[in-house]
Parts: sequence; structure tokens; C-alpha cells
Amino acid sequence: MRKITNNTDYPGFLLSCEENLLLDSGKSIKKYQIAYQTYGELNSSKDNAVLICHALTGDQFPAEESPITKKNGWWDLMVGPDKPIDTNKYFVICSNVLGGCVGTTGPNDINPETSKIYGLDFPTITIRDMVKVQKILIEELGIAKLKSVIGGSMGAMQVLQWAATFPESVQSTVCIAGSLKHSAQNIAFDEAGRQSIMLDPNWNQGRYLELDQKPENGLSVARMIAHITYLSEKAFQNKFGRNLQEKKDLSFGFGIDFQVESYLRYQGRSFVDRFDANSYLYMTRAMDYFDVSEEIINNQKKIIDNEIRFLVLSFTSDWLFPTKESREIVSLLNSIGSNVSFAEVVSDRGHDSFLLDEPQFFRVCEGFLKGIK
Amino acid sequence: MRNDYKIILDLIPENSKVLDIGCSDGDLISLLADKNISAQGVELNQEKVISCLGRGLDVIHGDINLIVEDFPYNQFDYCILTQTIQAVQKPDVLLNTLKKVSKNIIVGFNNSGRLSKAVQFLFSGSFDSLLKKSDSDQWYNTDYIHPCSIIDFKKLSNDLNFKIVSTYDVNNSAQFTDGKIPSNLFCREVLFHLANE
Repeated sequence: MRKITNNTDYPGFLLSCEENLLLDSGKSIKKYQIAYQTYGELNSSKDNAVLICHALTGDQFPAEESPITKKNGWWDLMVGPDKPIDTNKYFVICSNVLGGCVGTTGPNDINPETSKIYGLDFPTITIRDMVKVQKILIEELGIAKLKSVIGGSMGAMQVLQWAATFPESVQSTVCIAGSLKHSAQNIAFDEAGRQSIMLDPNWNQGRYLELDQKPENGLSVARMIAHITYLSEKAFQNKFGRNLQEKKDLSFGFGIDFQVESYLRYQGRSFVDRFDANSYLYMTRAMDYFDVSEEIINNQKKIIDNEIRFLVLSFTSDWLFPTKESREIVSLLNSIGSNVSFAEVVSDRGHDSFLLDEPQFFRVCEGFLKGIK
Repeated sequence: MRNDYKIILDLIPENSKVLDIGCSDGDLISLLADKNISAQGVELNQEKVISCLGRGLDVIHGDINLIVEDFPYNQFDYCILTQTIQAVQKPDVLLNTLKKVSKNIIVGFNNSGRLSKAVQFLFSGSFDSLLKKSDSDQWYNTDYIHPCSIIDFKKLSNDLNFKIVSTYDVNNSAQFTDGKIPSNLFCREVLFHLANE
């Protein structure tokens, strides 16, 4: 049984499904819910829907003020009235991913089989599992074909997965700062992040919520490591250089001397207030497991028959998901004969560029969407 | 419509797959699409990429010298280079790689060996006239780094073991076959249709 209600914890809606969800791991969850938000209006022919897929630490609130941070939504520059993803034209849907911690079922929810918090009893999930759940949401909203599926980073993985798994339900895709598979270096960074969480004594094999003591230090260090990978050498240099933090001389100790240290610690600290450590483990694992090439090749006929239009985008200074990996996507899509476009945007702000004010980037996206008939 | 476009549209059969290198705003791709020919562009200038996208055209942003290896082999029926070959770093290397990507290659360029150019050079003693693409170009800042004549290009095609299917004098839309070529002295703009041997 499936039912849509208003979400009582956050703005937006909740799709509750009382049914078994079989996952790629072979395990399943007995019931689940999907928290989502929408912007704009669905037209009567239901062909103006755009699905936005959020990145690792994103949520279902790309536009307007975020109820979580009380600041502008994470993609407020991109999504809204008269913005590149124009909510005057499109019905924009964004859902919290499976395994997330902003209302969609994840490891910090109650396991219906034990009536205890899942913790590590939550099954390992994949990007395909996340997308399967999004597909169920789209079906419930009565949408047969999405005008576009758009996302950056982990969102870009979901975008490619949509095209590979549900080619008949997608008219176009925008894959930003993504890759066909997680690289060894990216898995390595994820592992460092996970280890810092799991080695925090407060983590307690993932049962920290019952013990009311979160692995804040571990999660915060994981975020610090990850945050470095989201920027670029030049971005750090431009922002901080070797400037000292509120002092004139070095302290000759291990406190905060440099501005960059203060910044990183702040990034780590503020992250623990809005994110769940177990969710972080599950979602980074899903990214590590991602490798969509084979499924794209296996489904090439459907991808071609449905005439999906692909836009692949990268940023010059992104070293986490470098241009080379976007070109591999283009090359694969070309090899199966699909309709693919590619643009590389000049920016020295690293992987995070897709979340920042990059006018050229916005114009490329806007132009592409304009060309989707 | 540009004369070279007209020739190209007549030359390429329906339902072909085409790669247009240096596609600019996508005018040619768009004309090809009207003829039910699926074409993808390659363009270095981002503004032009954006305008292609806005027209619903498929375009790859990048420098063809650097990205040609990304195109899968035998993916295209025709590959088009109009007014591009002179600006390519190594025309021979590019053409050799394109050979693997596309069955046919169409190359259009202005004949730098024509009489008027030769006379201009003879009397001015300056290479600017040969290397000019726009008025602001000088020999040291031009993109036009490989000016060539019809005779030069015919030799390159032979050296690379291409079959010259036909050539065209673009300005008067005259076609030449059986190894004949337009006059090197008088033809202003030429088009070569090459095929893999």
C-alpha cells in the first residue's frame, strides 16, 4: 500500500510504502518512506516534471530557504522562478535519497522487525536502490516520463543510473561533475572518512542514537577530509593563503594558527548538527559500489529507442570528478550512438563549483533545457 | 545558404551519422537535422556551444586536437571540417585519427595557393596575407597556422592513403571526379570528399 501525506517533520511530503523493497544486496526492507519536496506546478499532460538528484550531503530542499540550515537551499541559484531550472515552467521534484537522514528511510529509523533503530542492521544500499525508490515516487505522482533528471556529484551518479535502468521514463539527463564509476582515489577518501567515524568511541558499532552520544568527532573529521576534496588548491590559496587566524604570530602549538584550519574545523563542526554518521557510511558505500557502464551498454537499445538526450558537464579545477571522467561518460554514450552533449566550464573552485555562482555553468544548463522539446 | 553547406547537404545521404568539427553555432548541424541526418558537433568556443545547446543540437565542447581520441571507432559515416583544418595543430595526425572514427571525411578550406594570394605575397613580401582569417590577424597571432593550397592538400590525402572521391570548387559549385581537382591558381574555396581506401 502506498500513501502520500504532508510531512510533519519537515516541509514537503511523505510517500509511505507498506511493501517489501528488494535491494541490490539481495536483502530487503519491509516498509519505507520517501520524503520529498516539489516546486512549481505539474501541467495537465504531466510532461514538465524535472527530477533533481541531490549529492552526498544534500537534501530535498534545493530551492527557497532550507528548513534545515535556515539559509538558501543548496541549489537556490539554479532552481526557482526565472532561474536556469525555471519553476515557472517545470514541476521540480527533489527527494531525500534512500539511506539519507532527512526523512527518507535510512539507518537512523526504526527497524519494523525489531522495533529498534536500524543502525548497522540497515541493509547496504546502492545508487540503483536510491533510483528505484525515486521511480516509485514518480509513478505515484502519475508521471510517465521525466522531462529531465539533473544532478551533480552523487546526484550525477543517480542521473546516469536513471538513464541506464529506466530509459523509457527519461527524456533528458544532465550529469554534472560525475563519473561512470567511483575511482580508486575516491574510494580511498571515502574509506578514510568512514574509518574516522567508526574509530570514534562514541560510534559504538552504530548504536549511538540509543546511547545518546553521537560520534561527533569522527563525523566532523570525515567532513573535513571530504571538504578538502570538494575544493581546489587554488581555491584554498585564494581564500586563505597562509593567513593566520586572529593572531599575529605562530603559537608553536597545535591549536588553530591558520585561517584554513579554523575554516575546516568549522565545516566539520557545523556538519554534525545536520547529518547522521551512519547515513554517511551508507551513502559513501553506495558511491563506492557505483559502476554503471555495463548497464548502459546492456540497455543501449532502449536508451537509443527512447532518444534520451544527455548533457555531461565538468569543471576545469575539479580533481575529485575530473573532466577526464566526464569524457569517459561521453565516450561511452557516443559508442552506443546516443545523443550526447558535453561542456567543460572554466572555474578554479573545484568540485563544489556546481553549487556555486558560476554564470557560464548556469547558461549551459539553461541552454540545454531550452533545447529539450 | 552558404555554398559549401549546399554541397555538403547534397552529398550526404539521409540517415547518415555525421560529426561536424568546428561546428560554430550549429547552422550546418541544424540543416543536416532537417534532412534527417543525425549530426553531432565539436566546438571550442563555449558561447557557441551554449547556442548549439539552445537549438537542441548535440555538441561536444573541446579542442579536437585533444579529444579526437575520445570518439569511438567507426561511429560516424561522415566527418566534416569546414574552415577548420588550417587551425588544427597537426592536420595529418588528426586526419589519420578521424579515419578510424568516420568512413568519409569532408574537408573545406580557402586555397592559399591561388594566384591572387601568390601575387599579394610577391608584392607585399608579408606572410600576413596568407595567414589571415580575420582582419586583426597577423602572422604571429593567427589561428590559421597551416595555410595550404589545393595541390598541398591533394598530396596529403594521397600520403595518408585516402581515396579522393570528389572535389568541389565551392564558389561556382563545380564538382570534379576521377582524380581531377579545381584549378590551384583560380579556385578560391575548395571542398575535398575523402573516403577510407
